[in-house]
Amino acid sequence: MLRLVRVELTRLRWRRAVMLLLIAAVVIPAVVAAVTLWNTRQVSDAEIAGVARDNASEIARCEKKPHRYGLEDADGCQAQIVGWYVGRQPLSLQEQRHENTGLGVATILAALLLLVGTTFVGHDWNTGSMSNQLLFEPRRGRIWAAKAIVVTGVSAVLGAIVFSAYWLALWAVADSRGLPASHAELLDCLQLGWRGAAFAACAALGGYAMTMLFRSTVATLGVLLAVALAGGIVIAALGIGERWQPQVNLSAVVENGATYYVDPPQSCFNGAPPEGVDCSGERHLDLAPAAGYWGIALVLVGAVSVVSFRRRDVP
Amino acid sequence: MTDLVIETASLRKEFRTRRGVRVAVDGLDLAVPAGGVHGFLGPNGSGKTTTIRMLLGLARASEGTMRLFGQPVPHQLPSVIDRIGAVVESPKFSPSFSGRQNLTLLARSIGVPTTRVAAAVETVGLTDRDKDRYKSYSLGMKQRLAIAATLLKEPDLLILDEPTNGLDPAGIREIRDTIRDLGESGVTVLLSSHILAEVQQVCTSATIIGNGRMLASGRVDDLIGTSTSYRVAAADPDAVRRVLTDAGFTVAEHDLLVETDRPADVTQALGAAGIWLTELTPVRADLESVFLQLTAGDQMGGGQ
Repeated sequence: MLRLVRVELTRLRWRRAVMLLLIAAVVIPAVVAAVTLWNTRQVSDAEIAGVARDNASEIARCEKKPHRYGLEDADGCQAQIVGWYVGRQPLSLQEQRHENTGLGVATILAALLLLVGTTFVGHDWNTGSMSNQLLFEPRRGRIWAAKAIVVTGVSAVLGAIVFSAYWLALWAVADSRGLPASHAELLDCLQLGWRGAAFAACAALGGYAMTMLFRSTVATLGVLLAVALAGGIVIAALGIGERWQPQVNLSAVVENGATYYVDPPQSCFNGAPPEGVDCSGERHLDLAPAAGYWGIALVLVGAVSVVSFRRRDVP
Repeated sequence: MTDLVIETASLRKEFRTRRGVRVAVDGLDLAVPAGGVHGFLGPNGSGKTTTIRMLLGLARASEGTMRLFGQPVPHQLPSVIDRIGAVVESPKFSPSFSGRQNLTLLARSIGVPTTRVAAAVETVGLTDRDKDRYKSYSLGMKQRLAIAATLLKEPDLLILDEPTNGLDPAGIREIRDTIRDLGESGVTVLLSSHILAEVQQVCTSATIIGNGRMLASGRVDDLIGTSTSYRVAAADPDAVRRVLTDAGFTVAEHDLLVETDRPADVTQALGAAGIWLTELTPVRADLESVFLQLTAGDQMGGGQ
């Protein structure tokens, strides 16, 4: 089995499309991090002077009538007007975490690694080389498992490295700028990243399993696109709650819980709300049920994929 | 113990299509003895490739049993697969990898030392191009690479499905010689081919199938038969036919072909009747005529 895993690892390493996707999975989060750092860079004295010069007339108006600008006196006018035009907040890990940057990067990474899973094995089906592999190792379960281990393992390791580097870079820069960034905040962000990495690895495994089932990258992507476009609409049309929407469950996994909304019960609108009934419409979804949601989907796809691969004729 | 390398009994394969069930292989009893080259013949769509794919575990049999080296397959296929090299239909490799990379992956998957890759590449004459991408290969080179892949295992059984497809005449001869050498060295070769002259040249035994059923099987010489015909020509063909029929010879209906193993009797009978021959040529039956005779009722064309 170890021999097969090594072979599949080599196959993955030699496949150019896969390598390009893996490079993109490193570069895109790096670009997001770089943009984040650029957008939160400290305001220099020259920049303040330039903005103050460009907006001198407005600063003058503020100084004449500071109350119109919500100020007690004219002293704070320049800082306020410059702050408006510079428009940059200092780097804050907490804010980055709450502004869903981590979720965004996790989603991008999951999509790229899902493509890695589908491309890796779709190529085998497309070229017919799967049958050649089976002429050397006819135990199909082993072939399925070896490829799955490699796709999931590489994705998990890459995701963990990328996310760790992403949050450590933000933390280090915030620290170098003398901004408050505690170790507890860093650990919180790292954990978010590792959950994102785990989700991305599962996405890669899911993409792989679906392609082993449909035997075509195009078919897999078509099904996923259809699910992405129509899935939410179908869930909404069937009146199934927002709790079952994929994006809510994705948020809950990556961010260790998510808030979603439901229509409050009718009784909430008839005078005083009954005791014990939550009329806020706001609900919280924990990590465990969301992980179960994705886990069950993954196990189902995986099981059907294995059974199909073991039983169906190979072209 | 059995001396049969390949053995099938009542083998059947059905495909479900929109138009119902199509039977590709229907109760096939195949027996390939150890050693030598065994031809596997049949028109397109007769079930040859499907049979091979079932033997190699790529397709599931609907009914029947199969044995390779006495082991029931597909259940025991893992225990014998290291002794089997196979090329099924067209060669199938990863086009973006080089020939050497493709072979290296296959060799590593069964723990074969990569030094054997170089040897296999050399055997099929691809050493100069083994680092080029597979997609840049000609059909003949792809076919050679597929044969090189089978040699990685140093197999006891070689299953070759149309191995000379796409090869130039020199390549065909090389592959034919390789197959013959392998057969003589003790490797059992199952050669599925449409090129009957090729089969006749290299095969010691053959099985002919049609519509998924076995039509004939045995040693090639036995299949062809020992009887010899003679083509006769003279100025008056009708007189020749009459004289020879009266003398007790069997003469073919449309051609002046006389079945006999004593040509002197033909000249004597015709000479006695005052007919002087202009031609008396021995016409020995070949595999092609046997094949065409046996498969005359089969549909030609179509895939398997």
